[in-house]
Amino acid sequence: MRPFTFQRIQSLDQASARKANDGHQCIAGGTNLLDLMKKNITVPEVLLDITKALPDQIETTAKGIRIGAMVRNSAAANHDLIRSKFPLVSKALLAGASPQIRNMASIGGNLLQRTRCPYFYDTTLPCNKRNPGTGCGAIDGENRMSAIVGYSTECVAVHPSDLCIALAALDANVIIRTTDKKETIIPFKDFHRLPGETPEQDNNLPVSGIITAVDIPSNQFFKNAAYVKLRDRESYAFALISVAAALELNGNKIVQARLASGGVAHKPWRWYEAEAFLKGKNATLETFQKAAAIVVKETKPLSNNAFKVPMLKGAVEVALQNCLNA
Amino acid sequence: MEKQTISRRFFLFTSSMAASLAFIPAGVKAFYNNVKRAIVRSKEKETVSIIVNKQKHTLSVDSRTTLLDLLREELHLTGSKKGCDHGQCGACTVHIDGQRALSCLSLAVMMEGHEITTIEGLAQDGKLHPMQQAFLECDGFQCGYCTPGQIMSAVACVNEGRTGSVAEIKEFMSGNLCRCGAYNGIVESIQKVAAR
Amino acid sequence: MAEGRVEGISKVTGSGKYAAEYKVDNVCYGVIVGSTIPAGEIEAYHLDDAKEVAGVLDIITHLNRPSIPAFENEESIKKSGFSLPVLHTDKVFFKGQPIALVIAETLEDATYAASLVTATYKQSSFNVDFDTTHPSIPLAGTGKERGTMDAWSNAAFVADAEYNIKHEVHNPMEMHATIATWVSKDKLKLWDKNQGVNNVQGTLSRLWKMPAANIEVISEFVGGGFGAGLLVWPHVLMTVMAAQQVKRPVKVVLTRPQMFTLVGYRPQAWQKVKIGADKDGNFLGILHQSKHSKSVYDNYREGITRISRMLYKIPNAKTEEATVSLNLSAPTWMRGPGDCSGAFGLECAIDELSYQLKKDPVQLRLQNLATEIDPDTQKPWSTNFLNECVEKGAANIEWAKYRKAQPASVKEGDWMIGYGMACGMWFAGRSKASAGIKMQKDGTISVETAMTDIGTGTGTGMQNIAHDNLGIPKNKIKVNLGNSNLPAAPSQGGSTGLSTMSGAVVAACNEFRKKIAELASVVDEAYKHVNPADIVFTKNGVALQTQGNRPVSYENIFAKNNLEIIDVQATSGPGEERQKYAFCSGAAHFVRVKVHAKTGKVKVDKIVSVVDAGYVVNDKAAANQISGAAVGGLGMALTEEQLVDHKLGCVVGNDLAGYHFPVNADAPIIDVSFIGKPDVNINPAGAKGLGEVGIIGMAPAVANAIYNATGKRLRNLPITPDKVLMA
Repeated sequence: MRPFTFQRIQSLDQASARKANDGHQCIAGGTNLLDLMKKNITVPEVLLDITKALPDQIETTAKGIRIGAMVRNSAAANHDLIRSKFPLVSKALLAGASPQIRNMASIGGNLLQRTRCPYFYDTTLPCNKRNPGTGCGAIDGENRMSAIVGYSTECVAVHPSDLCIALAALDANVIIRTTDKKETIIPFKDFHRLPGETPEQDNNLPVSGIITAVDIPSNQFFKNAAYVKLRDRESYAFALISVAAALELNGNKIVQARLASGGVAHKPWRWYEAEAFLKGKNATLETFQKAAAIVVKETKPLSNNAFKVPMLKGAVEVALQNCLNA
Repeated sequence: MEKQTISRRFFLFTSSMAASLAFIPAGVKAFYNNVKRAIVRSKEKETVSIIVNKQKHTLSVDSRTTLLDLLREELHLTGSKKGCDHGQCGACTVHIDGQRALSCLSLAVMMEGHEITTIEGLAQDGKLHPMQQAFLECDGFQCGYCTPGQIMSAVACVNEGRTGSVAEIKEFMSGNLCRCGAYNGIVESIQKVAAR
Repeated sequence: MAEGRVEGISKVTGSGKYAAEYKVDNVCYGVIVGSTIPAGEIEAYHLDDAKEVAGVLDIITHLNRPSIPAFENEESIKKSGFSLPVLHTDKVFFKGQPIALVIAETLEDATYAASLVTATYKQSSFNVDFDTTHPSIPLAGTGKERGTMDAWSNAAFVADAEYNIKHEVHNPMEMHATIATWVSKDKLKLWDKNQGVNNVQGTLSRLWKMPAANIEVISEFVGGGFGAGLLVWPHVLMTVMAAQQVKRPVKVVLTRPQMFTLVGYRPQAWQKVKIGADKDGNFLGILHQSKHSKSVYDNYREGITRISRMLYKIPNAKTEEATVSLNLSAPTWMRGPGDCSGAFGLECAIDELSYQLKKDPVQLRLQNLATEIDPDTQKPWSTNFLNECVEKGAANIEWAKYRKAQPASVKEGDWMIGYGMACGMWFAGRSKASAGIKMQKDGTISVETAMTDIGTGTGTGMQNIAHDNLGIPKNKIKVNLGNSNLPAAPSQGGSTGLSTMSGAVVAACNEFRKKIAELASVVDEAYKHVNPADIVFTKNGVALQTQGNRPVSYENIFAKNNLEIIDVQATSGPGEERQKYAFCSGAAHFVRVKVHAKTGKVKVDKIVSVVDAGYVVNDKAAANQISGAAVGGLGMALTEEQLVDHKLGCVVGNDLAGYHFPVNADAPIIDVSFIGKPDVNINPAGAKGLGEVGIIGMAPAVANAIYNATGKRLRNLPITPDKVLMA
């Protein structure tokens, strides 16, 4: 690890002001950042400990719920209100990492996790995301874990978070504090980026921006929500494919549906067309199979991950079915 | 070569000393073309007061030092193990303010004021913690290297009430890898303690 | 205090010291720098940046390191038997090959400085692609051929298929580590993670051309090995060189990614098995061919086809093997080397044959198992109860009741259920070893050997054997091991540890009884003529069991002989029995799997392993070994695969997030049982080894169960969900 200056930050204003400086980097839970620093992938000159500055409460608001950025993943997953009214969030959180890491990782930091693409993680390998201009090792290399939608010739990495898939499905908002403006709100779908020509940028967080909270609007999905995660082992592994599914039902009729996936793209991916299809249909296996078929229509696998297409199709069906048994 | 001014990036690239590239595909040439020059930074020390196993330590630590390395290399509390150093194995599990956490992904400087319990602090008055006793009785280990982390995690698993079924125990103990595969005994140990 | 392992308290309290954990005054830290190209030559090092880091003491490279005497020149290197003359060559054979060691005051300094070391290379062409290379490598006969291939050309039923296994990595939880210190100019001391201290001592003695007696190697606690600790690897030599260079103790701990390239792995393997049977299911002939990967600089070879010559009565058998050289680091023995891979081909092929024959695979095996005579050597098995393992395993999992002959016929919702089984066999070896017993004045004894205990329970087994023999309570028997100054012993590996030590400990006990009789006779002359076996050890002294009691206190024995300690040693090893008999351990593995029809997810929810390992010295530790091996087998079957990038010439995803071995949730509670019949010929305890046999056959049992569940025959390991879906 490269030496750095350590600073304890007391307020959000201070955090945002200092973060705007070159080489300054915030740390909260540290579960991904420290890993990246040890690998010399992230090399801050000044490390800003913002754990004392960030909000760490879960509160109800007029429109829903606000989860402070410093709330630890396990605290959010086990929170009564989240478990009862936003169970998809709890399920997704519990599908991620390990109990130890969930006790440490912050909600804000979860949004800023970087990809787990092995080419990104090994500094001796080419990677446009880590070292722009070096090429993408995965695109015609070991890309079993890589994207099947939304990728570019520059980068085929996937976003690693489980929480974010649920947040994307529930149309959450990311609350950001910057130096120039008190509060910026970025809708979840606009927070993370696609790789395009600039895969080194994962998201649209402003340079001085500090995530202070995530807002989730109230919804009627809490009775019928499911998170399905498929991975190379039963637990403690990143997703090959994950699906967050949520249905609002009136009897057997689908009033509204949400479908999002991890393990498929550079950002949490919403399946809008399938959602539109589901709306107004009866919640039957046949409907779900048709929705899953619509989902996979969009995909375009790489040399080593064609399996993700049938796996995604199966996972969507299972997730929708699980919504009925939630 | 002249040292460059500090920039956001770790390495600055020049192409003065090109390696032979005959066998690396064209798409990745740029990477090997570059010979990196680094900005060499000096280490910085911070004073930190932490409580380890109820004992307060005030230390001057390298800002880079992890809690795990502090425990093992400075305080010689080697019960917390290094199995990967990247949060991928659970061998370094300790309790921070009563919650299980990974000491390899915690900076020592960020532990100011926090209470750390390691495996060495689990036995009280010379008497093994019930979980240590259970691991002994159920043979919940082989080589013993992941064991302190397993035990710290197991104590937390019981405290968290995640012992409702074998499947639940297994899921909530899956952050602690055991290459010897002593999972039978680990589960049995936890069931034994949870049943009390 | 409840009974546990002899070293149990040290392990559950974290007080046991593993190699990197000894407090050594003035120690400094070494961090290895690996090559960034897969093949070529080092042209120049760029060390200026690294040297600028405060705290850096030195950086050793092939240009400035202290020379290892045995690596003096090309010829002596060849003779040394050490395939990678680390820091004594400018050649690069694989990516990640150690090219420098940065030595600094702290771990943080050394790690940072190591990240600043670079080199320029003259790069050569390379090849890391096993699959496309092996077809052009010719096979050669191996082992003893039986009968002819023509003899079964008209076999009524033939299974003929190819099987592949990816490169797997041991990954013991403790990363390899060495602390080396030159206690004087010609005396070296090491705390080192390995599976055999005498092997490390002997190897260093040869390389540095110094007497073995001048080298002390300590490995009291070993955080797992699985074969990765059987050789002396480059980092050990680098640490010794570094300590010489900076004249201080140096500690080197490998990083987890380095664990994937610097301490071996199970090679990638291809196999082809053709097996024929008559209409009644009697095996007629087998052709088993295999090739496995190895490094360009090393000649590692493992016998993948051996198991096909041993397990079944097959009148015609031919086996052929080859190795494929790649620009990857050297593979080595990994739990059940050779046979573990070979059993996958053989036991899947037999399963395939069973479906052709429409015969229950349990019956097919019982009918063909060679439990009387080892077909390979034609010697009678000393003991082989594999048939009983199969019968008992089938009963325990209720095979007859639940297993359906028709594949893909049992469904629970989206889950398809299936049963599978396979057998495993491993030669039951025994080596020569020494053990010592020391008695203190208070009547406590310590049983000692240089052998390591890598988690197998060897120490506890030694305590049990000494207790059984001498009757001294276990809490008065200490065990000391893992130090080269203790009585010499071979490395712990190949399931020979306890089989070897049991003989040595019994010999030491006998020697101890003789010594006690001799010393007690100074107090009471009656002891001059006693049968030493008649001596009983009591709380305060010794007495005679059948010859009139005649108690003599320990106090008197020590006082009258003017002794501070009683100390005996004995050596024991295999003998003529090895000429007369063949020895093996056997196992039958049964699994139940659930396969998800829509997602390809495989869940193994029942495992039954039944093992014939002779007399079981310690039930708990033995069952733990077998259930642990089953978990290893699950990894081999379902999750473990080291990815290799063929274009860039290197392994990728080499960490514990990228390489998946099973977590707790992957394994069911594993049902282990033993036949438990002693093998009276192998050693005085009657105990056969069991470390390997638990993993051999586990992967094919899983693959066979997946076939039974789905009707999909998956012949390439690991069977990840993508393979299930795409089959």
